Amino acid sequence: MTIDSEPVTTAGAIALANLEVRIDGYVSRVDGGRPTVGGRVELIELIALRGQLLGSIGDLEQAVALADDLVAQVPSDARSFVARARMRAVFHRFAAALSDLDTAAALGGGSVVLDAERAGLYQALGRYDEALEIRRPAAVANPVFSTLAALALLHGERGELDLAESRFTAASRHYRGTSPFPMAMLEFQRGKLWIENDDHGRARTWIGSAVRRLPAYVPAQGHLAELDADRGDTGAAIARLRPLALSSDDPDYATQVARVLSDAGHTDEARTWRDKAEARYDDLLADHYAAFADHAAEFWLTVGGDSERALALARQNLSLRQTPRARALVRRASSWSVAEHR
Amino acid sequence: MTDHNSSPRAVAEPAIDIADVYVFPSPSRPGRLVLVLNVFPNARQGALFSDAAHYRFRIRPVTIPAGGPGSVFEVGSDEYDITVAFEAPTTTDEAGNPVQEGFCTLPSGVTVAFRANDEQATEAFGVRVFAGLRMDPLFIDGTGYVETLATGRVTFQENGTNSAEGWNILGIVVELDVATVLGQAAGTLFAVAAETVTAGKFPLRLERFGRVFVKNQLLGELGVDKVNQDLDLRELYNSEDPFELAPDYLAAYRARLNANLAALDDIDGKIDWPLRPDGTHPLTELYLGDYQVVDVAKPYAEDSYLEIEQAMQQGRAHTTSGGRSLNDDAVDTTLTFNVTAGNGPRISDGVDQATVRASDDFPYLAPPNPDPAAIGGFLVPSKVADQLAALEAAGLVSRSR
Repeated sequence: MTIDSEPVTTAGAIALANLEVRIDGYVSRVDGGRPTVGGRVELIELIALRGQLLGSIGDLEQAVALADDLVAQVPSDARSFVARARMRAVFHRFAAALSDLDTAAALGGGSVVLDAERAGLYQALGRYDEALEIRRPAAVANPVFSTLAALALLHGERGELDLAESRFTAASRHYRGTSPFPMAMLEFQRGKLWIENDDHGRARTWIGSAVRRLPAYVPAQGHLAELDADRGDTGAAIARLRPLALSSDDPDYATQVARVLSDAGHTDEARTWRDKAEARYDDLLADHYAAFADHAAEFWLTVGGDSERALALARQNLSLRQTPRARALVRRASSWSVAEHR
Repeated sequence: MTDHNSSPRAVAEPAIDIADVYVFPSPSRPGRLVLVLNVFPNARQGALFSDAAHYRFRIRPVTIPAGGPGSVFEVGSDEYDITVAFEAPTTTDEAGNPVQEGFCTLPSGVTVAFRANDEQATEAFGVRVFAGLRMDPLFIDGTGYVETLATGRVTFQENGTNSAEGWNILGIVVELDVATVLGQAAGTLFAVAAETVTAGKFPLRLERFGRVFVKNQLLGELGVDKVNQDLDLRELYNSEDPFELAPDYLAAYRARLNANLAALDDIDGKIDWPLRPDGTHPLTELYLGDYQVVDVAKPYAEDSYLEIEQAMQQGRAHTTSGGRSLNDDAVDTTLTFNVTAGNGPRISDGVDQATVRASDDFPYLAPPNPDPAAIGGFLVPSKVADQLAALEAAGLVSRSR
């Protein structure tokens, strides 16, 4: 399958350099003591974006801290609570995020923005029908990149793959910009959908496109490595994963590289990465249990080698969000646990 | 957590965000016209131009068919485009900074290559080009300006504070030999608008700029437009062809301009621009033609912004080159024109020059500030009331008036 490279977007290196420049500019404004709420919200969003693109949990933690400060210092502005709701959602504190959105509404926050945020939270919680009640009319009333992309993702999670594909295509056609970030993220999400639906060819097409658009996009590189490993290209997978495991503070990459190294017979190095991942997951579960329960479960199901721990984490994750993915994780963990005890 | 399916939202890219446009005869080289397009507000060391956008000056000949209140320019159909594009960096300089190569394509189709941040620009085919980090030539008491618009009365201090103090931008400077590049054009009056458009098979207009403050203030929400009270027109406006507005939103633009211009006229308590019987403001159609007008036959004049437009409204011949020079106090000129029509003392925001005056010599824009000030974002909301609220919340405006 070949895809059109349109829309043409700015080279990833340029976009990331400019992102750093913008963050520096806003940081100096905040430090200079003359920040506006709009500027502080933008700084939070930019740092969170960098964190998501470069696999930096530290950035995301910083964004959360800034959002908490903003609410504490400007509790009368709806935008403070919307910013914090978004950051709470990143760390899977969905109930707290919904509460923030209610506060934002009471402070006069715009309903279009708040409804869009609520839809994202409903989707994360597996409340797909409620999310669809917001997403579908929003895309009909205002068919732009963001509304079409959001609807595509929702259809994908609901298993409506044809609808998801058509909305992904529509979102791409409606993109009006040059920043590579939204398009790379869209292509990455589209590719992930096909990984989950066992079409690795399509997945590689879209995730490959995301990586070409933005080579430094860490999650996309990580999933491309997963596809490399699945087709037996262990060398390529390791070559992709080692730099990610070194540069990112997200233990997913250490977990992945440990698994691939182990499968390739490099047991000593695999053990080193496995142990690093375990230590990091212990830290992250202490601080952000809701956000990392599912990923930690994956770790214990694979190189971690403890299906009981995995099952406990998977069940906790399911209690927080009743999504098909969460249920599938519990089923896998249960199967492994049963198999181990035979 | 890295799998959190947050929907991708459109992200503004600063490298295509137009900050300002200037058009003026060269003060040091007669016969040359200087075009300046500044992007990336509050740029800093490390900022780069997009390789997925074209930075374009669009030039068309204009004539003045008749003078008097409500007069508008007649724009010709011949167009002379100057398009600047950049590549992604592949090398670094001695200091380790990425090096960008650029290309300037002239109306003849000839392309002139240059390197960003190279002040020693070579001249070829009647053109010199500079592009890179420079000091922002804007000067304005932004706080006082927003407060003036929001409150409906002049609130400037005698000695204002330059809100753009120390800012940098990414500037593109094209100095062209008029006879060589525009020699085929009829007349000496030209309309100039600047745009950023996407590169690729199907170019999309991202931003455009003509005169000062048309998009953010004249089309902003002052709270007086009764036709479209809560409609942010700026993105719609941005996507329009400056020389050929589509019919879809013309009525909305007209309603907004009529209301806002009338409100501005009333700031000093007297009406200098009486509305027509149908409620149309005499300057609405002029501002809908959002481009600067320059007379290339006239010499450089530092304070000539809107002189051609004013002369046309007054039914007299213009005397200067018009356009907008880098040191021109276009903010004061715009306010005075809109509020008093020139019938009375000049309105001043108390800020009369930039941090560093622009040069009379190429590349004209002052060298960048090595320690730039922080970003000021209070002009971003469409509603001027929200801009004022942001300033109050940041402690930049006193709540007692």
